[in-house]
Parts: sequence; structure tokens; C-alpha cells
Amino acid sequence: MLRLGPKPERMREMELDDIFISRLQLLIIMAKSYLSKNPLGDYRERSILENAEFVKVDAVGLAEDIAFFGFNESDFKGLDFEPVFYQRVKLLAVMAEAFAKGHSLEEHKQEALEKNLNTICEAITFSKTISDMQFLKVA
Amino acid sequence: MKIAVVDEDVIVRDFIVSTLMYSVNREILTFDNGFDTWVYCTESGFPDIIVADVNLQGIDGFSLVSKVKETSPGTVVVLFSDSPRNETKASEQGADAFLAKPFGVNEIFSLVQTYVVEPDPARDTSTPV
Repeated sequence: MLRLGPKPERMREMELDDIFISRLQLLIIMAKSYLSKNPLGDYRERSILENAEFVKVDAVGLAEDIAFFGFNESDFKGLDFEPVFYQRVKLLAVMAEAFAKGHSLEEHKQEALEKNLNTICEAITFSKTISDMQFLKVA
Repeated sequence: MKIAVVDEDVIVRDFIVSTLMYSVNREILTFDNGFDTWVYCTESGFPDIIVADVNLQGIDGFSLVSKVKETSPGTVVVLFSDSPRNETKASEQGADAFLAKPFGVNEIFSLVQTYVVEPDPARDTSTPV
């Protein structure tokens, strides 16, 4: 039997933060795949829109929570997620919605998307790269 | 290729569905309990892959594996759980894979790579119903 996931001693229920980070990772993969010119398809487009909506709503909620409790950027120095991080995530979600709806991004917008991706990726890490996912090359 | 995801927790289920739908660019069947999944299997044919939580109403994940494997041995069944105790039982019941929580996109991509992109050619994929 194939076994995937954390070691037994690290197993636990999945919380909303786990889902948010996982969906953000998925959104980044979706954007990188788009920039790599991998093909979309009806269900991929639907999946991108659903995922972008989830991430956007959650990112806005988290950013509002930070503002509501009166934090400012200096409170987050040295931490992975500063308030501006959520604004970047929201921007990524909006860009993903645009390409999923068939709006082709001009070159300067693709550069902006890539820059935004790189900034977000500095805060989270992956064990796989887009080239590892050969199945994204077919639709 | 038909894939079904079974989980009462809509947040986790929708995440799995989004990741699978994006990966394979296909519709993904969803169920929130084991009984409805089994009814679908017997009436509409067995999916090629079933990804199910261990804790399900009606028919739990372990019973679902047993019933599916008895009738359609070629169907890949992946069970997931947050309890290490369930891993051994999943294996005993015939599950093809065990997904330990908390899992992320990498684990789901690994499932796609294993069972969609590089399926075992020796696996019997016939569905008798």
C-alpha cells in the first residue's frame, strides 16, 4: 500500500490554515503553469476560478483580521506573512481569474504576475517544481 | 477516467476536488457519505479511482474499500485519515493507498502521477457492474 503524507506522530486534523496554504500553493502552480504555456481546458478553467475565489475571500478575511486587531507592519517583521502578503495573494487571485476567463495577459502583465509569484514564493516553499508535473502538459 | 471524492467535510473535499479537477482536466464525482457512493457504484458503474475519508456516515471508508474491492478489484481506492491507527486497517481492508492528514497539493499530485499518469498495466480495470 502506497503511503503519502506526514509521519504518524505528525498526523492531525486539517485546519482552515492548512487548506488556505494548500490552496495558495495550488494557485501558484496554476499561475506558473499558465506562464509555462501549458494548455488549459474547461475543467481546469473552472478549477482555477473556484480556487482563486476561495483564496481571494480567505486572504481578504485574514488581512481584515490583521487590521481589525490593530497590528501594523512592524509587528510582523521577521515573520513569514506580513499584511502586504495578503494583498499580493489577492492580486494573484485576480490575475488567475483573468487568465482563466480567457483574457490573455499582455507581456508586462505576465512580468507582473511572475514578479508577484516570486515574492509570494519567498514566503512559502515547495518540494516540487512545475517541470515535475508532466501531466499539466496535456489537457 | 472517472474519479470520485468522498468526505463529509466540504472544505477538505472541495480542496481535493479542485486539485484533482485541475490535474486531470475532468469532472470529479463528489459524495458526502459512503452509502450514496456505494449506490452510485452499483447503479452507474465503479469509478476508476475513489478517494475517501475513513470516517463516513452510512458505510465507513473501511467497509467501502472491502465492498468495492470485492466487486470491482480494479478500482483504485485511496483512504485518508488524521489517525495513525487507521493506516494498518486500511491496508488490511485492501486500500491501494493511505493519505495521512494534513496533506497538501504534493500528495494529491503524487496520487495523480501514480494512478493516472503511470497506472499499473497489470491492474484489472474492468468493472463488472
